[in-house]
Amino acid sequence: MNESLFFRRLLIGTTWGWVCLLALIPYIILLGVSWLQPGTDTLVLPTITKENYRHLLSPEVFTITAESVLLAACTALLCLAVGYPFAAILANAPAKLQPPLLLLVMIPFWTNSLIRTYALIMLLKADGLINTALIRTGLLTEPLQLMYTPFAVFIGLVYTLLPFMILPLYAALKAVDPKLLEAGRDLGASWLQNFLKITIPLTMPGIIAGTMLVFLPALGMFYVSDILGGARTMLLGNYIRDQFLVFRNIPMGSAASITMTLAMGLLLLLYYLATRRSGGRVMR
Amino acid sequence: MKTFLTATCLSLFMLTTAVSTGFGADKVLNLFIWSEYMPDEVLADFTKETGIRVNIATYDSNEAMYAKIKLVGKGYDLIVPSSDYVGLMRRQGMLIPIDVNKISNFKFIAPQFTNQSFDPDNKYSVPYMWGSTALAINTSLLPAETVQQTADLWKPELKGRLLLPNDPREVIGLGLKTLGYSINEKDPKHLQQAFEKLRLLKPSVRVFDSDSPKQAILSGEVSVGLMWNGEAFIANKENKMIRYLYPPEGFSLWLDSFCMPKGAVNIDAAYRFIDYILQPKVAAYLSQSIGYSSPNTGVSEYLPEEMKNNPIVYPPAQDAVRGEFLDSLDENTMKLYEQYWIQIKSK
Repeated sequence: MNESLFFRRLLIGTTWGWVCLLALIPYIILLGVSWLQPGTDTLVLPTITKENYRHLLSPEVFTITAESVLLAACTALLCLAVGYPFAAILANAPAKLQPPLLLLVMIPFWTNSLIRTYALIMLLKADGLINTALIRTGLLTEPLQLMYTPFAVFIGLVYTLLPFMILPLYAALKAVDPKLLEAGRDLGASWLQNFLKITIPLTMPGIIAGTMLVFLPALGMFYVSDILGGARTMLLGNYIRDQFLVFRNIPMGSAASITMTLAMGLLLLLYYLATRRSGGRVMR
Repeated sequence: MKTFLTATCLSLFMLTTAVSTGFGADKVLNLFIWSEYMPDEVLADFTKETGIRVNIATYDSNEAMYAKIKLVGKGYDLIVPSSDYVGLMRRQGMLIPIDVNKISNFKFIAPQFTNQSFDPDNKYSVPYMWGSTALAINTSLLPAETVQQTADLWKPELKGRLLLPNDPREVIGLGLKTLGYSINEKDPKHLQQAFEKLRLLKPSVRVFDSDSPKQAILSGEVSVGLMWNGEAFIANKENKMIRYLYPPEGFSLWLDSFCMPKGAVNIDAAYRFIDYILQPKVAAYLSQSIGYSSPNTGVSEYLPEEMKNNPIVYPPAQDAVRGEFLDSLDENTMKLYEQYWIQIKSK
C-alpha cells in the first residue's frame, strides 16, 4: 500500500517535474522576454515595452495571420468532408472489420509527419510516381504541375491530419442509438431529414472535437506549406521562426508565439465549454 | 526579472556545457562547429600528433551558436561562424584577437579570402571552408543562352520556372546585385529599388527552398535555381545538363572561419589546431571528404583532377573575383530587410 503510494507520487512527481522544466519554465521565460526590447549587444534589453504586442496588430502581421487561419480552416473543412463519410462507413461496417480498419487509419500515424510529407514529394513531383504513371499509360504527354501548388499543400495537410478527424467522428457515430433513426423513419422522415435532424446534432461534439483537433495543429504546421507549397506564402510559423533565426528579434518572436498559444488555448476552452453543454459523454 | 532570466538560462546552459568542459589546460580543445563539418579521423590524427584531446559540440545554425556564446560565453575555445557572424561578433567584442604570425600555415590561404570587410587584416578569423550562391540552370529544359546573367531571370519564359533560396539575405542580395549594388547595401533608397525589382520577379518564382534545392531542379519542377554550389555540384553529378553560372553582375560568397570566443581557455591548443587544419594535405582531405571548397592554395596538389578542375567547386579566377562575402547588417537595415521580405513573401 505504502509502496504503491510512493510509486504513484514518484510517477506524478516526475511527470510534473518534466512538464515544469521543459514546458512551463521555457514558457515563463518566453512570456517575460515578450515584454522586453530587442538589443544589439545583449539579445534583449531590460526595458519593458508593449511595442511587440502592438506590432502584432500591424497590417502585414494581420495578413500573415489571416492566411494561416484561412489555410487551417480550409484544411479542417476538407478533413470533415472526407472524414465524415469515412467515419460513417467505419461505424456501420461489420463489428469484426472495425478494429482492423481503425488500425489502418492509425498505422501511417506512427511515422513522423515530416517524413510522410517528404514521401509525398515522391508521389507529386514532375518525375514522381503519379506523373510517370500517367505519362507511361499515354494519358498525358506533359507532366502535371502538382508540386508547389495549393493543391499539394492541402493534400499534405489533409493526409497528415485526417486521423484526428476520423477518430472522434467514429466515436460519436458509434454512440448514435440506431433506434432513434428507426423511430424517425417510422414517423415518415426521409433519409436526409434523419441525417440532418438526428445524426448531425447527435454527432456535433465529435464534429467540434475533430475540427479543433485538425484546425489547431494545421495553424502551426508551416513546414507542410514550405515543403509542398514551395514556401511562397508566409505563415505564422514562418514568421515566428524568422524572428528568432533571421532577424534576431527574440522579443517579437516570443510575443507572436505567446499570442498564438493563447489563441489556441482560448479555442480549446471554448471547445471544452461547448462539449460540456452538448453532452461531452459521447467523447469520453 | 532580468537577473532571474539570466540565472535560469545560465543554469540550463551550464548543465549542457559542463559535460564538454575538460580539465588540464591545453591538453584539451573544446571545438564548437557546424554539424558534419569536421570528420572524426582528422580529430583522431590531430590527437595522435599533438596529444591534445578534442571535445566537439555541434550546431546547425549561426544563430544557435551565437545565442549560446552570448548567453554562456565560456566552455568553447574555437568556433566556426560564417562571414556575416564573424562581422557581427567582432563588432560586439565577442572574439579574442588571433595573431596570424603564430600560424605558420596561414601563408597557404589564398589572398582573395583574407582581409575582407567583415574582418579587415584577419585580426579575428582564419578561413576554413567557402562556397558560392549562384545560378544552376537545367539546359535540357531551357536553351543555355536564355539565362546568361541575373537580369535574364525576369524574362517571360521563366514564369513559374525559378527557384530562390528561402532566405531574405540571399533573395534581396540577388535584387541588389542585378541593379549593380553590393549585397551588403545599407542605403534605404537602393534597398527600395531592389525590392521593387524583386516584386516583379515573384510570378517567376515557383519555390523558395534552402534545404534541398537540388531536388526541384533534378525533377524538372524548375529550370533555373539560385543555390549554393554544394547543391549544384550534386545536381550536376546526377545530370550533366545542369550547369552552374557565375553571373556577370556578381554573386554572393559564403566563408566559414575559425574564431576564438571571449572565454576561450585553451588558446595554445586552438592555435595548434588551426595550424594543423591549414596544412595543405589535411585541407585537401577535408575538402574531399565533406565536399566544400577549401581556401587553401596548397590543396590542388592533393586533390583529384575531377574536383580541382570542376568550376562548380573551384571557380576560375576570372569568375571568383565577382563574388562578394556577406557581412552583418545594422539593426535599422535589418528592419528594412524584414519588411521587404514579408512583402515579397505575402504577395
